[in-house]
Amino acid sequence: MKPIHFLAIAAALVVLASLPVWANQGVTFIVGLALVEAVFALSWNLLFGFTGMASFGHAAFFAIGGYLCGAGLRYATGVPFLALLGGAGALGALTAFLVGLVALRRSSGIHFAILTLALSEVLRVLIAYSTALGREDGLSAIPRPAVNLGVARLDLTSGQSYYWFLLVASALLAWVLWLVAKGPLGRVLQTIRQDPERAAFMGVDVWRYRLGAFTLSGAVAAVSGALYAPWAQIITPDSAHWIHSTQPMLASLLGGAQSFWGPVIGTILFTAINYATRTLIGLSEIVIGVVLLVIVLSAPSGVMGLLRRFESRRNRPAAAAGGGARVRAATVPTPAGEA
Amino acid sequence: MSTLLSIADIRKSYGALEVLKGVTLDVAEGETFAIIGPNGAGKTTLFRVMTGEAPCNAGTVRYAGRDVTRAPAFERVRLGMGRTFQVARIFPDFTVEENVIVAVEARRSSRGDAAAPRWFQTRPRADVRAEAMEQLERVGLADKAASDARFLSHGDKKRLEFAIALAGRPKILMLDEPTAGMSPADRMATAELIRRLRGESGLTVVMTEHDMDVIFGLANRIFVMNHGEPIACGTLDEIRANPTVQEVYLGKEMYGAEG
Ligand SMILES: Nc1ncnc2c1ncn2[C@@H]1O[C@H](COP(=O)(O)OP(=O)(O)OP(=O)(O)O)[C@@H](O)[C@H]1O
Ligand SMILES: [Mg+2]
Repeated sequence: MKPIHFLAIAAALVVLASLPVWANQGVTFIVGLALVEAVFALSWNLLFGFTGMASFGHAAFFAIGGYLCGAGLRYATGVPFLALLGGAGALGALTAFLVGLVALRRSSGIHFAILTLALSEVLRVLIAYSTALGREDGLSAIPRPAVNLGVARLDLTSGQSYYWFLLVASALLAWVLWLVAKGPLGRVLQTIRQDPERAAFMGVDVWRYRLGAFTLSGAVAAVSGALYAPWAQIITPDSAHWIHSTQPMLASLLGGAQSFWGPVIGTILFTAINYATRTLIGLSEIVIGVVLLVIVLSAPSGVMGLLRRFESRRNRPAAAAGGGARVRAATVPTPAGEA
Repeated sequence: MSTLLSIADIRKSYGALEVLKGVTLDVAEGETFAIIGPNGAGKTTLFRVMTGEAPCNAGTVRYAGRDVTRAPAFERVRLGMGRTFQVARIFPDFTVEENVIVAVEARRSSRGDAAAPRWFQTRPRADVRAEAMEQLERVGLADKAASDARFLSHGDKKRLEFAIALAGRPKILMLDEPTAGMSPADRMATAELIRRLRGESGLTVVMTEHDMDVIFGLANRIFVMNHGEPIACGTLDEIRANPTVQEVYLGKEMYGAEG
């Protein structure tokens, strides 16, 4: 890791960790939501930006985790919170695995996208019909838990303490995804995104890696939903809505799908735009629309692509002056996925 | 010499168009086997069937004593097949070095190598990088290791793909027009490279090629096909003397310019 990247991450963590001390509750709440959405977007982009698969129904996993955790905290008060998080991850993984078994058999392109979209809408309708899950109104008044760590008991019932828990959990999830994306597994996934056939001719079982990536992505998305439920203290069928599925897509597009941190940057920007325009109804959609348009037209590899271009200009001014050919790949628009 | 690859009565159609009309051939271990034929003869299609890229409609493919007709490509690769494509396929978003690193890592993990990468070690192991550099030196790309693969010239892409294939340590290497689009000097260098590899590791080579100088310099046996049908198979001299071959293939392409 380059020193500047390390500094950026350390600075972000310091700002985030100290937030409840200097920011008001409303801002802390929004940042907590952004943390959850950022992890959700990272899980989606492991598929899209790294493996070349576009899941159009990713919110389903978020909802699975959210409802499991919400219902657990409300009805099964004896179950430890960490077990609920683990259970959410396991259920998300299992669902993704089973869907993947069917959806990835033949293709991973548009069929996969449409199938995931359809299944997520089915799930949303089922939830909205389920009385146990509160129908259209969802589960509300979800209590915040206490975590028993054996040696110590963490009481997360206050907003502040849950916020810190959320921060640590999100950072851990991001770190695991980073290890996967940047390590040998991620390298294999990237070969699959670029040319699955060439990858197969290196001895890579493309189907198994795709299924594995989808399973991991579903697990992390479900855990992000499980973290969300006690934070918002409510979970509704909207969490499985296709509009929620577009959230990680837009964040990745804006931040840069080819970069690991792109979806996080995108989520931060979206949150900032939403917050800055919160008093004028409809304005945030317009601003987000315009920003997306500008990004897509002028910087197809997103904000991270712009930053990287800037960085390589500064490091190699001669190369930049002598033509773009030696500037890093991020400047050249490439389709990130098949769909 | 024992037979390494043997295909029998392969038929393959694209829709109504029958591209392979019953092709049978045997490749012995250690030999260099060239498949030639005019454009559209079905050479690439035959390659696709032999490597597992595409299924055939009828016939069998046997490799190292096993029936691999239904085996997917990655399994054949794990059994020791390596290949290149007619139009080189590399990973454009990676650097030249990364292209070979992923190939080395893929071989190690698919063969259960103890030195396979662990998922949490993000950097490629030092010995993996060394091995990748060794392959790049072999094909003469070591000085371009850090450049982005997308910016390579056509000929360099072919050489990089060659390095990717070699990183899999294949027993049999299938090359679809390895020198197509290269300068004459690069062609000779590639032919020399194939000859050297063959000498070093007893590699079996199956190749198609339009450049007769390359073929004549390398091949132990030549298989001629036209319109999806075999016409002749034999040594260089046998092929040269074959009247049908002269008529359909060599007659046009080799001696056409002279007469
Ligand atoms: N995917 C495909 N779909 C339909 N027809 C195809 C396909 N691929 C090849 N063909 C046809 O099959 C025939 C054989 O093609 P093939 O590429 O195998 O020939 P080739 O001998 O490799 O030719 P060349 O020397 O030009 O590479 C041609 O008539 C071609 O048009
Ligand atoms: Mg061909």
